[in-house]
Amino acid sequence: MSEIELNAVRLGLIWRRLDGIVDQVAETFLRAAFSVVVRDNYDMAFSLFDAQGRQLTQSKRSIPSFLGTLPRTLAAVLERFPRSQLAPGDVIISNNAWIGTGHLNDISMVHPIFRGDRLVAFAASTAHTVDIGGAPSPSARDCFEEGLCIPICKIVVAGEDNATVMDFLTENLRQPGETLGDIRAQFAAYRDCNAKLMALMDEESLHDLSPVADEIIARSEQSMRSAIAALPDGEYGDGFDVDGVDYPLRIECMVSIDGDQLTVDFAGTSGQVPWPINSVLNYTQAYARYAVKCLVDPDAPNNAGSLAPVHITAPEGCLLNAVPPAPVWGRHLSGHYVPPAIFGALAPIMQNNIVAESGSPLWNVYFSGRHDDDRGNFVKMFFMNGGHGARANGDGPGCLSFPSNVSNQPIEAFEHQVPMLVREKCFIADSGGAGRFRGGNAQRLVFEARANNPITMTIRHERIHYPPRGLLGGKPGRAGIDQVNGQTIAAKSRTELNKGDRVVFETPGGGGLFAPSERDGASIRQDLENGLTTPAASRKSYGHE
Amino acid sequence: MGMNDAVKADWRVGVDIGGTFTDVVLWREGADNLVQIKLLTTPADPSRAVLDGIGQALDQVGIAAQELTSVVHGTTLVANALIERKGVATGLITTRGFRDVLEIGREWRYDLFNLDIVMPTPLVPRRRRLEIDERIDAAGLVETPLNLDQMPGLVEDFRAMGVRSVAVCLLHAYLNPGHEQALGAMLAKTMPDVAVSLSSDVSAEMGEYERTSTAVANAYVHPIFRDYLERLVAALRELGYQHELLLVLSDGRSIAADVAVKYPIRLVQSGPAAGAEAARLFGELARQRDILCFDMGGTTAKACLIHDGEPERTVNFEVARETRFAEGSGLPLLIPAIDMIEIGAGGGSIARVDQRGLLQVGPDSAGADPGPACYGRGNQFPTVTDCDLLLGYLDENSFLGGKMKLDRDAAALAVRVHLADPLGIKPIEAAWGVHETVTANMAQAATIHAIERGLDATRFAMLPIGGAGPVHACSMAQKMSITRLICPAGAGVASAIGMLAAAKSFEIGRAAPSELSLLDFTKAVELLNDMTTEAASLVASAGAEDDQVTRRFSAMMRYLGQGYEIEVPVTLEMLEHHDRDGLLASFSECYRDRYGRSEDMPAELLSWRLAVTGQRSTLGDSLGQRAAAGEAAPVSRTGRPVWFGESFVETPVFKRSDFGTGSTIHGPAIIEENESTLVLPAGFELSVDGALNLILDATS
Repeated sequence: MSEIELNAVRLGLIWRRLDGIVDQVAETFLRAAFSVVVRDNYDMAFSLFDAQGRQLTQSKRSIPSFLGTLPRTLAAVLERFPRSQLAPGDVIISNNAWIGTGHLNDISMVHPIFRGDRLVAFAASTAHTVDIGGAPSPSARDCFEEGLCIPICKIVVAGEDNATVMDFLTENLRQPGETLGDIRAQFAAYRDCNAKLMALMDEESLHDLSPVADEIIARSEQSMRSAIAALPDGEYGDGFDVDGVDYPLRIECMVSIDGDQLTVDFAGTSGQVPWPINSVLNYTQAYARYAVKCLVDPDAPNNAGSLAPVHITAPEGCLLNAVPPAPVWGRHLSGHYVPPAIFGALAPIMQNNIVAESGSPLWNVYFSGRHDDDRGNFVKMFFMNGGHGARANGDGPGCLSFPSNVSNQPIEAFEHQVPMLVREKCFIADSGGAGRFRGGNAQRLVFEARANNPITMTIRHERIHYPPRGLLGGKPGRAGIDQVNGQTIAAKSRTELNKGDRVVFETPGGGGLFAPSERDGASIRQDLENGLTTPAASRKSYGHE
Repeated sequence: MGMNDAVKADWRVGVDIGGTFTDVVLWREGADNLVQIKLLTTPADPSRAVLDGIGQALDQVGIAAQELTSVVHGTTLVANALIERKGVATGLITTRGFRDVLEIGREWRYDLFNLDIVMPTPLVPRRRRLEIDERIDAAGLVETPLNLDQMPGLVEDFRAMGVRSVAVCLLHAYLNPGHEQALGAMLAKTMPDVAVSLSSDVSAEMGEYERTSTAVANAYVHPIFRDYLERLVAALRELGYQHELLLVLSDGRSIAADVAVKYPIRLVQSGPAAGAEAARLFGELARQRDILCFDMGGTTAKACLIHDGEPERTVNFEVARETRFAEGSGLPLLIPAIDMIEIGAGGGSIARVDQRGLLQVGPDSAGADPGPACYGRGNQFPTVTDCDLLLGYLDENSFLGGKMKLDRDAAALAVRVHLADPLGIKPIEAAWGVHETVTANMAQAATIHAIERGLDATRFAMLPIGGAGPVHACSMAQKMSITRLICPAGAGVASAIGMLAAAKSFEIGRAAPSELSLLDFTKAVELLNDMTTEAASLVASAGAEDDQVTRRFSAMMRYLGQGYEIEVPVTLEMLEHHDRDGLLASFSECYRDRYGRSEDMPAELLSWRLAVTGQRSTLGDSLGQRAAAGEAAPVSRTGRPVWFGESFVETPVFKRSDFGTGSTIHGPAIIEENESTLVLPAGFELSVDGALNLILDATS
């Protein structure tokens, strides 16, 4: 390296190739993967780290939470296996919720990459697995009920499968073929990553990635530091109540800006609860960093440099930093509140970039049962997003996913898999919070059971009692509603449905931004014409129709 | 064709209307040469350039329009109307409860970090989306009968809103089109002046959002396209042309105007698809069945894979993206299309120094107007073309055959001010950096496109077309570890040539989701017979004689619950014999071919497809025989200094016409043609085959 100058052109080309390598390798994984969640929903992440364990780049298809949790996973792996204990061809595995993504259903792996006998990089990936053994449910009281925990261990030792680990997994999983298939698909991706990285280093005469990594990280860090430094120093706080299970819980957030450093602390947040809605610190940090990046420096690359000036803390034992044996299966029910807390805190000083609250945490429903005909059992998960918060430059889009970015599924495909009829999937008028820019409209879904056999329905919904807030004078969106045959049901519950039963879900609407009195007449008229607001509500919010 | 009249010559014309140029190619069946005309597109009335071009071509060979036996046409009209949102006021009728499906979409953000993300505005606003009581279930059975009594109210609303075209998309209509057809009949009666697009007719595929989007896009452009075709057909008649007009669809097939007029959305990618057909033809001539077609012009660069002699196809298409290159930011269309990917913004791509202090090329483009800085039309930012000029790849005096003089000083200034000075490097190093960056970007995008399809791009031969394709091809091939390139003659008018190469053909699909273990073979045979009848009538009207027609059935299949389906060839016989194991074996084989293994998992079937194809064009046979002996080792007439990364190297410059069959040279060299320049770096050997293709092989 030293003999060849690393000018901006050459650095740019190498950086681009590193980005390209992880994208190609991630495709190798996706194409070889077995499970639907990985192949089709891209519920995965693939990332490249330097020998020091600094994140360099990740595949474009990665989901935001996993990208943010992988650095801590690698650090934990290196604590267990110092570099001297790593060999070419090793793969280390774990799904420990606390060093991983916050629940057991995501398996992470790390593969050290050697050039000769020199450690030059790590490839790391995380993939969701639908089944991890155990019996996760809305009523789980500790994490041991939630499935198999794989401790940090070598699943491949110097290129040889570790049969003991493989046997443990096979014995404990309901669908070992699918999960092990995904794991082996990642092995193939690591081999591919190894070969491609060596080819790059050969062609560029690099003995080591460090000089390149130093530049990548320094330039990204500089970009984030400049963006933070442009914000006024100070402490900016926000706090709000959320539904919880039996009683409301509190999220408290303080963002401190000191020169080019930004710190987020969640002191004052409610303690962890004996229900599976607790978030671990690593998951909290991932969503906090994602939120800061979206808000402060969205165009810069995402790596150890861009994360360096951002510090995230939460008191041990709180809802956003739960300690074992807290149940954590539905950790998104608290973790998805992290971005709105940070946005709320920074709103006063970032009026040109801010977003009001969206209708999240993500809503989902599981339907399971047995077909009346010979198709056997079914288990189907169905996702529904709420309205998006209003933005500083316009209205919030209706039903757009944030922050999880999970898409819906066609009704026509759903009805082939589940013996139900969907009667409605439409916008709810007046559900977006009023404001100069209004929140995105929420949706109403109506399901009707058609089978003679009963159907078990499991839901985990939030924002029934506390709707998405508006910001800077904007009004809140509409709260969510769960009903069966016209009767409200608990938002975290399991219900048995019989033929003819009718289920109504109304997701939460997005919050508005700035005072409604500032909304322009043309936008008000357009919403009325399109029936997104009713005349009565328009009169109430805006003073005219 | 011409069967009853063997003495008379068959003269055929291909016409491609692009954004900047309209290309016309005239060919006499059996001849080994083509008449090629390139003229500026006339956006106000595109048919003017078409008629002009045909007139010029006819004059060159001294024949009258009466002697033409076919005119095949492709156009960007449909794509432009969608991109520029210049369609007509359109209405939509849906099943009650589902009018917002069109706007809710898939609820997914195509850009993770951008909070101000812009989602595509639906072509039909909510007030013009009306609902009707009816329901068909997932088995295709009527659950709620259609309430036609509600129609007069809907018609009145549409009239009041000035609607000129109506789309109808009802749930599960791909299984049972009865309700849509009843609504169509009623609309035809009560609103005879309004165009009607039924989703079951335009695209009988499962997935209510994508199918609605397709039907709506079809309705949105229908009246405009119909008017355009009527004008063009009338003008061709007036010129003396006596046969039917054929149109090229997005899948590279061609069909008669009276069929195409009902499905304008199928023409959305008409020109580029014909370019892929040309690449297939050129590949055949060079005996290459695996081709990466790389088409780079002024504003865009596209890649398409031809695998085992067939272009890769898809039924998932996207148009009018809000963010360039961002999948998911446009309007989804379920139409048969050649699977192409946009891999770059072309020669007009603007280079800059980004916030990291590094070179960034694109995605924005100076386009054709004002174009690169060296065009001297007011753009001051450096583009890929400007850098190609400074590197010596292009020559300021021979660009476009000398018709356009380039401003070297303007290019040098742009590169120095905006790139070299901020980066603290020499201008020539910055120009080289831009060239390397843009080819690296395109190489990466094309490689990933291949991996996504389970194909290994390194085994493909690259075939560059378009004005800027041959300039960047070798550099890109090196980065993709591709070792052979084929540079055909006439690459500048490839789409128009592809139109002459395309067989008359039409593809239809019918969704019929079922697990393989539960497949009702009797129903499947019935459905395939219905499809055969329908397709036969469509192709017959395109002039294909029945005894020349081939039918190809296939099934779109996947493992139960997977998201990617693959096309599996099937025979009617297989279904008649209820050969479940045979169907599974066929699927497993296709799956193995693509992904290197098959699984022990249940399979399911999504839809049936049928492609009906008339006689193949003999253009390839004719062009394959145009060998013209050339000098074994031609001598260059001139030379110029060219930069290949280290220093300027005095490099010989050839004319393409210097080469004949059997000629061989080694790089570095520059080979100029009227519409493009081939850059041949050291490490490549050039030879010429029997069809006058330049074959480039990597030697190092």
